[in-house]
Amino acid sequence: MTQTSISTGHKKWINERLFDAIPLGIAVIDPEYNLVYANSAFEDLFGSWQHHKCYNLYKGRKDMCSYCESTMTFTDGTPRVNEEVGYDKNGRHIRYLQHATPVVDEDGNHPFIIHIFTNITEAAQIRDEYQLLLDQVPCNILLIDKNFRIVKANKRVRDWLGDVEDRYCFETLKGLKHKCTECTARQTFTDGQMHTGYHTWRSKEGRTLHFHVITVPLKQPNGGFDLVMEMAVDVTQTLKLEDGLKFAHTFLETMIATSMDGIFAVNERGKVTIFNPAARKLFNIMGNQVVSREELAAMLPKGFLAQVSGKPGHVYLPEIQAKTINGQTVPVRLFGNKLMADDGAIGMAFSVQDLSKIKQLEKEKLEAERLAAVGHTVAGLSHGIKNLITALEGGMYMLNSGLSKGNIERIQQGMEMLARNIERIAMFVKAFLSFSKGRQIQAKSCDPAAIAEEVVYLYAVKADELGIALKSEKLGNVNPAPIDYESMLECLTNLVGNAIDACQVSDEDGCHVTVRTFEENDTIIYEVTDNGCGMDYEIKRKVFTTFFTTKGLGGSGLGLLMTKKIVQEHGGRIDLESEPGKGTTFRISLPRRRLPNEIKAAQGENISV
Amino acid sequence: MNLVMSAAKKILIVDDEQDILAYFEAIFQDSGYDTVVARDGSEGLELAKSEKPDLIALDITMPGQSGMKTYRQYKRHPALKDIPVIIITAINDSFKSLLDELNGFSTPEAFLNKPVDPQELLKVVAGILADKI
Repeated sequence: MTQTSISTGHKKWINERLFDAIPLGIAVIDPEYNLVYANSAFEDLFGSWQHHKCYNLYKGRKDMCSYCESTMTFTDGTPRVNEEVGYDKNGRHIRYLQHATPVVDEDGNHPFIIHIFTNITEAAQIRDEYQLLLDQVPCNILLIDKNFRIVKANKRVRDWLGDVEDRYCFETLKGLKHKCTECTARQTFTDGQMHTGYHTWRSKEGRTLHFHVITVPLKQPNGGFDLVMEMAVDVTQTLKLEDGLKFAHTFLETMIATSMDGIFAVNERGKVTIFNPAARKLFNIMGNQVVSREELAAMLPKGFLAQVSGKPGHVYLPEIQAKTINGQTVPVRLFGNKLMADDGAIGMAFSVQDLSKIKQLEKEKLEAERLAAVGHTVAGLSHGIKNLITALEGGMYMLNSGLSKGNIERIQQGMEMLARNIERIAMFVKAFLSFSKGRQIQAKSCDPAAIAEEVVYLYAVKADELGIALKSEKLGNVNPAPIDYESMLECLTNLVGNAIDACQVSDEDGCHVTVRTFEENDTIIYEVTDNGCGMDYEIKRKVFTTFFTTKGLGGSGLGLLMTKKIVQEHGGRIDLESEPGKGTTFRISLPRRRLPNEIKAAQGENISV
Repeated sequence: MNLVMSAAKKILIVDDEQDILAYFEAIFQDSGYDTVVARDGSEGLELAKSEKPDLIALDITMPGQSGMKTYRQYKRHPALKDIPVIIITAINDSFKSLLDELNGFSTPEAFLNKPVDPQELLKVVAGILADKI
């Protein structure tokens, strides 16, 4: 290969033109910092330079820089390199490397300094961005060498663990004296691949922190590498949330599985997603049988699903008939809830409670109350009978002693006593038979207020004759209810009859008797109020509990007992308020949920006394 | 009855039933006692004060005011508290449950259940009155 030798002409050209051809800005300053010479690359960077001092042009300053490397180079003749920040010819910030090289003359003086500029604005920008990224990325970043020493750590790590450089990673991060048995960095050092893993590190306060760690080889242009970059994301919170979620899920699953109440749910498309064991038992569904939406709808009251899905919030049915999968009716309490998420419905959840046991208990309680009423009646009856026997014996005594003494008056008296008390026996027996005949309550839907109106109608003539103001009042709306019309009519007849009697005994004029019908808290209430003679404590205490009458021979003492029995058979109660001389109020309360079934009740009403 | 008495003993009968009053009155009168009768508790109290009877036969179940209340009124009254009382009642409660209602007052001298045997009644009355002498 022949080599073309450079000619003198070429050398001259190079010497003369190189100054302007070189792509680095070059300028010359004198000891007064005046720019005395510069090339075209310099002009491209800083603009025209004549009649400027270096600090005017590079930095936009009027006065000298407080720290000036060129001053030192003028003094000691040592070349210097420095990174500087200044302004370009358009006034934009630039970053540049500035080489200051002294010009040395024959005497060894330095009359000039040459400034050579490398514009590093873009590189510096990239470097800054990289640093910012490294420090601010929400993850811990470490560079680790083959000996597992930390070469570099980002700001996050330094803020957390302090100065970690040159320390062993296992010691710094985990407080260990030896390398970890499972080490993602070692795996990367071994095969040059990226590896991930979970590590627990120890915080300064001694808390255990969980990290998701990624190690990547920091490859050099030749493909080899000495360093591994380890990036660790704190997943402690996430793991905690995951644990919490897992707990909540398990808790909920256990609750649903073991709940005494039936629980079931459908998703937004109506598919049955949950059907717990209690619900399966209630609806008689096999252990693993899938329940379709149609089957579910058929088991629940008609329209219930639509009602729940129709509006946000819940639908509560305190007592309703549901059906098992085989179509048998079950009394239940139902609760349906539309499930809403941020952006709409996500399904429906239901809970159902089997009321058959409760209904059975309520029935048994009613029966027990009824038996207690009968017991009281029998006790009262025996009292009445003993008095009757005593009176009869009295009659016999008068008759016998009258006969033996020949005392006609006493014979007469004895006959009258016998006749009177035999008549009383007849009346008792009649009343008691009607009490004890054990007629089954036959509840049919009827208007409760109509019964009160009929009683007032029946007594209207009598009340009018006695000058007693008798009226019926209906307060507000009272819907029809399953009541045995005839029996309830008998109750109110007894109470109104008593009230009229109380008025007759009263000294006051202008007596009145009022029958009110109204409803309060799902309870139908009858009130019979009079302003008659009233009762004192002794009488109030006895009216329901013994075979008791204040009417001498005129009463059987069974009217209120009969009334109480009928009221109890309707699941209700009867109370009274009374004050001597002021009047009396009897109140019959019939809670709707305890009223007998409208169909011919299948109550075990076979007790006869 | 051949009882010889310096003066006839007086018995107050308290009962709400007219026929029973007539019956007991006849029994006692036939045995030589004087009788006064009251139809209820408050009348019984007034008569006891005015008539100073030697013995009171008292019913329990009466309208207006129960015999137990009347009994306590007698026992609270300084002039009446020493008059012996026989309770004659048709109620089914045991004698003990009646005693529970005494609230610390002394027990009645006798307790008889209706219907009563006239001979038994006279025997009890005679016994009590004999003790008093």
